[in-house]
Amino acid sequence: MKILVPVKRVVDYNVRVRVRPDGSGVELSNVKMSMNPFDEIALEEAVRLKEKGVATEVVVVSIGVPQVKDTLRTALAMGADRTILVHATDDVNQDIEPLAIAKILAKIVDAEKPQLVIAGKQAIDNDMNATGQMLAAALGWGQGTYASAVEIDEGAVLVTREVDGGLQTLRLKLPAVVTTDLRLNQPRYVALPAIMKARKKTIEEIDLAALGVDSAPRLTVLSTVEPAKRQAGVKVHSVDELISKLKNEAGVL
Amino acid sequence: MFLNETQEEVRSTTRSFVNDVVRPAAEALDREERFPAEIYDEMGKLGLFGIAVPEELGGPGFDTLTYAVVMEELSRGYACVADQCGLVELISTLLVRHGTPEQRKMLPDVMAMKRKVAYCITEPEAGTDVSGIRTTAVRDGDGWVLNGGKIWIHNAPVADTGFVLARTDKEAGNRGMSIFIVDLHAKGVERGPKEHKMGQRASQVGALDFQDVRLGPDALLGEMNRGFHMMLSVLDKGRVGIAALAVGIAQAGLEAAVDYAGTRKQFCKHISEFQGVQWLLADMAKDIEAARLLVYSAAMKIDRGLDATRACSMAKCFAGDIAVARTADAVQVFGGSGYIRGFEVERLYRDAKITQIYEGTNQIQRMIIARELLRKGASA
Repeated sequence: MKILVPVKRVVDYNVRVRVRPDGSGVELSNVKMSMNPFDEIALEEAVRLKEKGVATEVVVVSIGVPQVKDTLRTALAMGADRTILVHATDDVNQDIEPLAIAKILAKIVDAEKPQLVIAGKQAIDNDMNATGQMLAAALGWGQGTYASAVEIDEGAVLVTREVDGGLQTLRLKLPAVVTTDLRLNQPRYVALPAIMKARKKTIEEIDLAALGVDSAPRLTVLSTVEPAKRQAGVKVHSVDELISKLKNEAGVL
Repeated sequence: MFLNETQEEVRSTTRSFVNDVVRPAAEALDREERFPAEIYDEMGKLGLFGIAVPEELGGPGFDTLTYAVVMEELSRGYACVADQCGLVELISTLLVRHGTPEQRKMLPDVMAMKRKVAYCITEPEAGTDVSGIRTTAVRDGDGWVLNGGKIWIHNAPVADTGFVLARTDKEAGNRGMSIFIVDLHAKGVERGPKEHKMGQRASQVGALDFQDVRLGPDALLGEMNRGFHMMLSVLDKGRVGIAALAVGIAQAGLEAAVDYAGTRKQFCKHISEFQGVQWLLADMAKDIEAARLLVYSAAMKIDRGLDATRACSMAKCFAGDIAVARTADAVQVFGGSGYIRGFEVERLYRDAKITQIYEGTNQIQRMIIARELLRKGASA
């Protein structure tokens, strides 16, 4: 069984994100970038399925600027067999919307014919939480989102999902799309010899134009602003005053 | 900026391991003076021992600069863990360069920390001046008999295999010493008690005593009577490693001090708003960056096959001195809290001190720098 894992290069989660002065987005130049943490979990799950002998090949695909290759090298070091870069733009500030990503991935799925796509449930930059669902729709495949456990069972995948009030388990006929939640696994640390070996593997490059996908944006960003600064608290002198404030100002009583 | 994509990736993977596993464990390891076998086990699996061992011998085959990056990152978590990495690096470098195919077979176990090693040079009468060693290996049939004593040996209380510098020709001075691979579980090997140190307390350090220890013909590492020179050949790399370790300690202190200054309030404002505290932080940052660049420069010289002796001594000496001075500043930023056990900066200050002493005291480093200047001229 072949597994396809789409990954996104995002601002590293340790970086303090700053808004660009013109409000068009966040600062992306000279900022440490790394693999979206949910995608790391997706890749880890795919590699574990391969190590268990359930999967035979793990292919990782990423869409964006040429610098995405750094992320794909990490994917190779984590255990991916092959990686594909869909070269979509040279502008690091150009975000490609989930719908376009889903269409591009559908083309890659047509070419690669995986039985399973495991994707992160969302990227930590835009928090769209849409690509996996759109991809499933585009392919006409079943989807299991927010997976906290994944098990392959005779032509099907059992996906345990974290839902309000507990866990729900779905049985999806393969091929299918699964998106990963935080508690699915703990991604491995990359071993140093694996980093060295990954250097020697090649990254396949596909030009977006060759796929014939309309990736034009449908959304317009109106503004990007910093979160409001927390206001200083107020000291009250009596319980009566507190109750009055809760009643009249906060409106919670 | 100075690191390529691979070196950056090594740094980032080492850092996430250190943030998750090493740094949170450091306080307890220091308090308990405990050998962190479980951390070393995991480091072995991640390839964090034997950084430069070539791929055909089972290592990652990285250069000295990458090794320095790993050392700084490990030490940022806990200096003892970095020092263990440094020790394995020296031993594996010696094995790769001078070991017979048979002797090199121990490399995978050494790099997995399944076989713990000790580098046994120092003696009561031979510290900085190695030529004073009294341990002897005397020919006996096709092997040798080892007699003598070593002190302050890292890993001595726990090690399986010692790499022991012994005199093999009494008349020949520095040309009369050899390195032997010694089974430390063998008859005639006595271990002294564990030393209780000021800092780097998870490193197990103690004495080794050899009484008529029989060594087989395969115990000799490299050429007979060339032990001193073999030791010198890995000295530059060792110094870069300790310099990077010192930078890591200071960096941890800087991070802690910046965080604390931004949260601690006095006179109704964060202490980071006081210029006196700002200047402490600025001085810490600039010295640490300067030390790091000296480390990179020395490591790059080794990697390019250039004469690196002066650069390595400068890096080691400067990094050790600023590690002590700037972790003292970190304690100062913390005020009274910084003097209390359990606060990271208190430990960092203690851990830093030895970096001015081991791998050649900073006095010796200055002698070397001066000697190189006077011999080869002042130009860079």
